[in-house]
Amino acid sequence: MDFDLAVIADNWRFLAYGVLVTIVLSIVSGATSLAAGLALALLRLRGPRWLRPLIVLYVDSMRAVPVLVVLVWTFFALPIVTGLTMSPFTAALIGLTVHLAAYAAEIVRAGIESVRPGQTRAAVALGMSPAQVMRRIVLPQALVRMLPAFGSLLSITIKDTAIASVIAVPELMRQSETVAGQSFQPIEVFTFAMLLYFVLLFPVTRGVDAVYRRVAHLGRS
Amino acid sequence: MTFDWSVVWQHRDALAAGTAMTFALTVATMAIAVPAGIVVAVLRLYGPAPLRVAATAYVELFRNLPLILVVYWAFYVVPILTGLGLSALATGLAALSLNVTAYNAETFRAGINSIRRGQSEAAMALGMSRSQALRRVVVPQALRRITPVLASTWVSLFKDTSLVSVIAVSELAYVSMQLRAQTFRVLEMLTAMAVLYWLLGYPQAKLVDWIQRRYQVTE
Repeated sequence: MDFDLAVIADNWRFLAYGVLVTIVLSIVSGATSLAAGLALALLRLRGPRWLRPLIVLYVDSMRAVPVLVVLVWTFFALPIVTGLTMSPFTAALIGLTVHLAAYAAEIVRAGIESVRPGQTRAAVALGMSPAQVMRRIVLPQALVRMLPAFGSLLSITIKDTAIASVIAVPELMRQSETVAGQSFQPIEVFTFAMLLYFVLLFPVTRGVDAVYRRVAHLGRS
Repeated sequence: MTFDWSVVWQHRDALAAGTAMTFALTVATMAIAVPAGIVVAVLRLYGPAPLRVAATAYVELFRNLPLILVVYWAFYVVPILTGLGLSALATGLAALSLNVTAYNAETFRAGINSIRRGQSEAAMALGMSRSQALRRVVVPQALRRITPVLASTWVSLFKDTSLVSVIAVSELAYVSMQLRAQTFRVLEMLTAMAVLYWLLGYPQAKLVDWIQRRYQVTE
């Protein structure tokens, strides 16, 4: 069995575009789901009471439904319901954000709840408003504790972008499928894709571990 | 735009068969991945150096690859590499098992490592061999910590079976999308698929929560 690397050399630009789309989609959906998760967790912990069961329902629903189903529904069914047409990238972004924000919300909630109540009480005793308590005392400690879980979530985000290939987002998985289909050389192409994903993912978790070890003491209380 | 929700009821048999296949895949994968995960974890903790490295490499590899890529790779590459002509179902099962075994191996390793060393030291001081100490003292305690994580992995696996739809295995996602193509009822079928997964997955998620509360270990 000979490995013909020419197919990769010929199509590297096409595959590189896929890597770019993967990275962009991961970063943007990671950022939006983080922001949404933070907002949801704060609403759940400090917001109106009636909102809480709705947020719990949303979070538990995202634990129940696969990413594939969310992405396919967002791309094919949402335009029917809303009348908006969207590009595959936009649909993937929306779908991934909706799915991952639930996990992000749980991570943020766990982080905030892990900060000792004594901290909050002391801050209130010093005359801080609830917003100040959250912003200046609780969140800085909580965010440090959440880092390893966020690293794990980023890793999951990058892996989930590969599922967006099903709705024809031109990310790495999709580009690899196209090249493999056209060249009839799936071994070289898919093995190369595996290598690329590994190179993308391995440093993410290791990097987050390394950063966390440096800043872990800041989350102490 | 008219919606015809009766198509869902009309094709309930196909959807039920898809659901059964999803469950079957989940059960079969766990049946393979739990023993395999134990083997890999034990190799990684107590094996000779080359096997330890191999086990670590295996776990790190599959934790850093998207499952959908593993499914495609198994489907297109394995038949060429090995000459085996496996069905799509067997290929999907193999890909899922490889992936979940890696996660399980990490779970078992973490569970065993979480039991204080003093336990195995005391067991060996009492005259037990290493494997006896492992089997009779460490593992029974570790099981309590492993069970909630394993339950969580089960729910993830249940969702991940939807990914083998890309190689035309007739589980729920594939059946739903085929029906969508046949009936042209996009919103109805896709919503039915989402609702079915929700109905199946939500109780499982809640059960996992209960298991985690019940078996929680507080030191």
